[in-house]
Amino acid sequence: MTLSTINITDRDHQIAKLSAIAVALSLVEFFFPSPIPGVKPGIANIIILYTIFKFDLRMGIWVSLIRVFVTSILLGSFLSPTFFLSLSGALFSLLSIIIFRNLSPKYFSLISLSLIASLAHIAGQFIIVRLWIIPHNGIFYLLPIFIVSAFIFGLVNALVTSKLLQLNSKK
Amino acid sequence: MILIKKILQSSKSVKFGDWFVITLFCALIIISTKFLWSLPQGEYLEIYKNNKILATYSLNQEITKEINGTKGKTKIIINNGKVRFSSSPCPKKYCIHQGWINKANQTIVCIPNQISISIVGVKRGYDTINY
Repeated sequence: MTLSTINITDRDHQIAKLSAIAVALSLVEFFFPSPIPGVKPGIANIIILYTIFKFDLRMGIWVSLIRVFVTSILLGSFLSPTFFLSLSGALFSLLSIIIFRNLSPKYFSLISLSLIASLAHIAGQFIIVRLWIIPHNGIFYLLPIFIVSAFIFGLVNALVTSKLLQLNSKK
Repeated sequence: MILIKKILQSSKSVKFGDWFVITLFCALIIISTKFLWSLPQGEYLEIYKNNKILATYSLNQEITKEINGTKGKTKIIINNGKVRFSSSPCPKKYCIHQGWINKANQTIVCIPNQISISIVGVKRGYDTINY
């Protein structure tokens, strides 16, 4: 028998805790009725933004991807179109954060980053929908609704995150 | 609203660049709404069967068409610029309940009978060209 040599660091514990909160928020959001089908606030992204700003980007990527996989397994949508939509949204917003993370913190706060990431999330989902799920140009008719919702929820999530970071730094 | 105001006041983290991004975002919303929600009047009707174009008709006529789908006959009425399904063998009749459509890029789909119609804008500038 070989002994496992995985060292569990404090960092892993932190990732696990934050992912657990993110998954819980996703589940709450899933059972929350939405006025417009398809429009969701994405409150789990508060945790991911928080992780990126409080810790670092690598940890944010971990939390984000763990959230996508674990939530889909818990809801039974693993490898279904819903899962791929969620995954592509997460990957695109992470990619946009990787690209834009070097914006000067003097002029740009996490609000900019959150707005850019929420827009990238919509873009990623729309690319998957257009290429695979509904290959018809008619879906672009819905795009303004999703851009507006991305704007509102991107802003609200960013404000909540900055409040959280503030509360946490005071301690 | 009060909550958002409170958070905005207490965070004080909205910086110059953020207003720039917010403005860009608002501009994007306005532009996308303008471009994507201004549908021109349709000119032609395309009828699809199993995702293949079956026929194309001009919308400027009064005519009733019968199409054989996979389950039976579907009736489509074209009436001077607008079009609707008037009868269909499908169980739920969503296609009929959708009513008249008249704008370019609008569609009605009947999945059970595998018939869909889609309005297109100005398709070609000329009927025929001679040289």
